[in-house]
Amino acid sequence: MAIPIAESLKLGIADILMRKVRSIVTVIGIILGVMCIMVVLAIVNGMNKSTMSWMEERGGLSKIEVEQNWQYDFSKGGDPSFTLKEIRYLQSLLPEAEAFNPSVQEWEAIITKGDIRYSTSLRGVMPDFVKVEQWDIAKGRFIKDMDIDLHSNVVVVGSTVAKEFFGNSEPLGQIMSIGNQQFTVVGVMSERFMQSQGGQIGMGDNALEYLNQRCFIPISTMISKVNPISKISSIDIRAKSPEEAKELRRKVENIVLNLKNGKRLFQVTSAKEQMDTMQANAKIMEAIFILIAVISLLVGGIVIMNIMLASIRERTREIGVRIAVGARSRDIFLQFLVQTILITSLGGVLGILFGFAILDKVGSYLQIEVLASVQMIWVALLVSIGVGLIFGVGPAIRASRLDPVIALREE
Amino acid sequence: MDIIKTEDIVKDYILGKVKVRALNGVNLHIQKGEFVAIMGPSGSGKSTLMHILGCLDKPTAGEYYLDDILVSKMPKAALAAVRNRKIGFVFQSFNLLPHLNILKNVELPLMYGGMSRHKRLAKAREVLQNVGLGNRLKHKPNELSGGQRQRVAIARAIVNDPSILLADEPTGNLDSQSGGDILEIFKDLHSQGNTVIIVTHDQAIASRAERIIRIKDGKIVDGNSDS
Repeated sequence: MAIPIAESLKLGIADILMRKVRSIVTVIGIILGVMCIMVVLAIVNGMNKSTMSWMEERGGLSKIEVEQNWQYDFSKGGDPSFTLKEIRYLQSLLPEAEAFNPSVQEWEAIITKGDIRYSTSLRGVMPDFVKVEQWDIAKGRFIKDMDIDLHSNVVVVGSTVAKEFFGNSEPLGQIMSIGNQQFTVVGVMSERFMQSQGGQIGMGDNALEYLNQRCFIPISTMISKVNPISKISSIDIRAKSPEEAKELRRKVENIVLNLKNGKRLFQVTSAKEQMDTMQANAKIMEAIFILIAVISLLVGGIVIMNIMLASIRERTREIGVRIAVGARSRDIFLQFLVQTILITSLGGVLGILFGFAILDKVGSYLQIEVLASVQMIWVALLVSIGVGLIFGVGPAIRASRLDPVIALREE
Repeated sequence: MDIIKTEDIVKDYILGKVKVRALNGVNLHIQKGEFVAIMGPSGSGKSTLMHILGCLDKPTAGEYYLDDILVSKMPKAALAAVRNRKIGFVFQSFNLLPHLNILKNVELPLMYGGMSRHKRLAKAREVLQNVGLGNRLKHKPNELSGGQRQRVAIARAIVNDPSILLADEPTGNLDSQSGGDILEIFKDLHSQGNTVIIVTHDQAIASRAERIIRIKDGKIVDGNSDS
């Protein structure tokens, strides 16, 4: 003949309504704790999303990069570059790679056409460049194998370069000068765009604008005609999937190491593994934030426990009366536990509402992307119920163990 | 038939380091349908006896049969059920829950008894009507006079049709007029067949009962049917 939970709920709601002000004061700690959790989860969500999209924009998780190892001690000798022959050899050993593109970069190349002078980052690349970068051609064609073999003077320009030089007129087939060489424009890259986060100075709102300012020529032309002292020191490779990228990275690393007689002249990294590292770092951040939330919830819980204890002291006589008319220990226990949980859930709901309300403001204040999710609501609700459970049990046990004789004597 | 039978009930309290014997071998017999007053000066042990008879407390030694059930050895949860079904309490200070209206106050024992909401509202309303408060159902206790409050308490005590009605100085906080009214209600309940036990130190009130049991220094000194 236990009284059902529904009765305890009704009792609890009636108690809360009767002591509105106290109930609100009681839950301030919980509200703050839950708001904290909401904000934390939204920040972590947002961080993960922007890391993801950054990675995607940079070529996805299947990308592997071979770059010069700047930590290498050059007193041991060695040349941190590849010849075209070595590149061809390396490529032949990696048939499983989806794409393979070495590149040579000339950071400050001057392009001229008539009166227009434009300083740009010029890249000597191979046809797979578009596959590695997952970057489409907007107009014309990209560099072909034939161009590599023939050391052709063809150039593919970024969208900003095309605008600067040709405005609205047709860029294809136009001639421009790079160094002392004449190049024919054969293609225009599509425009790359990503909303920039926060206020990186001088970047405008497109975090990828620097890509639109680049020009691409055959790698063979680059090292034979444009800049004979430039060397091939970086290769981008794309695996068929992020999972295969790890395996492929190890293989490339071994081949390069053999090619260079065991000297670690190059380092080979995979986006997938970098991403994993970044996410592990994000987890640490998350843990710290969660710790803050837990502390504020603990404080909130202790406040609630104290208020419940005071409330029970105040209601000792009522408890005595309830016991005298037949309430069992369990009934009294449930009455107070349910009441505590109701109060903390109320705090949880308010915390969720206020949390949503301040999310955007926090985001714009910290200049980071915040991302709300339904899962956050469940986490926040469960946590507030959990706090009620944890901190309600003690007072509820105390109430249920009251001696009715003493309780009834209480004034 | 004895509705209450105790055998050599002893109750000790520990006060600090001293053991105090509140009851020292109480053998009590009360028949079904009796109207009994338990009298004694303060400190005589009459309150302790009432608490044990009301199953709010357990004796240190001895046995207590209520309705032929040995309740002195029962676990706590079972005692709650006994209090709920077999005992109706009326206290000197009414002990109504101040934030509940009187209908809800009277409903309380039925709720703990597990009766459905619909039934218990009907029952509580009926009993309140019987004590003359049918038109005050939604009033809070502090909106009523002392006599009315005690009538609510009596309604709460009898709403479960208990085996015994235990009243502890029920007129102690009332003026003589309303005290008299309350005693009349107890007499009516008795005449309807209820077993009524009033604990008091007031001779005038005790004399309204059929039998007076006098208790002193933890022992029954007069009025037990056996002695």
